Amino acid sequence: MYIRVKRNKTTYFIQCEPTETVLDIKQKLHVLIDQPVDDQRLILFSSGHVLEDVKTLADQKVENDSVVALTLRKDDNEFEDVNIARPTDFYQSRDPEGGSW
Amino acid sequence: MRKEDTVKLISAEGFEFIIHKEAAMVSQTIRNMLTSPGSFAETQHGEVTFPEISTTILEKICKYFYWNLQFASGKETEFHIEPELTLELMMAANYLHT
Repeated sequence: MYIRVKRNKTTYFIQCEPTETVLDIKQKLHVLIDQPVDDQRLILFSSGHVLEDVKTLADQKVENDSVVALTLRKDDNEFEDVNIARPTDFYQSRDPEGGSW
Repeated sequence: MRKEDTVKLISAEGFEFIIHKEAAMVSQTIRNMLTSPGSFAETQHGEVTFPEISTTILEKICKYFYWNLQFASGKETEFHIEPELTLELMMAANYLHT
């Protein structure tokens, strides 16, 4: 399965198994973003639950295609708020007389 | 997973999707971009920008890549497509040879 880890305008598709722990996921993210696992916090987007390192994905209802928010530790040692940018491209900003295709 | 094994796909609005190379290469067009000889920026940085593809569609395409890999390995599930996305998705699929 895969999960989608999102922060700001970036989405990481992470391949994983339900039996893997959240720490396993953070280690995979560490390779991609160079942030130590201790400075990462993962939050299941649909429920708002902060995911615990030692528990598995299955334990915490993280399923295939789940969206997980990534927040990083700031300079003042606190974690930043969840911030996921959403595209407003769809329909709203499209030229009704025909798009850019 | 190593960083070199991933590619970054960038949508029209500048949203970034980091996915496995293996998944991206489901698309023949992306495969050609990433494997063609010569020092193309795409090959070197593993970054491809799609100024014609909206974020919503690009995310759907990335999901499709992973679904396709799973399907190919024997896990046959359905791939759901919202009706309002079909036209744009088909045009993108045509472009990407997917």
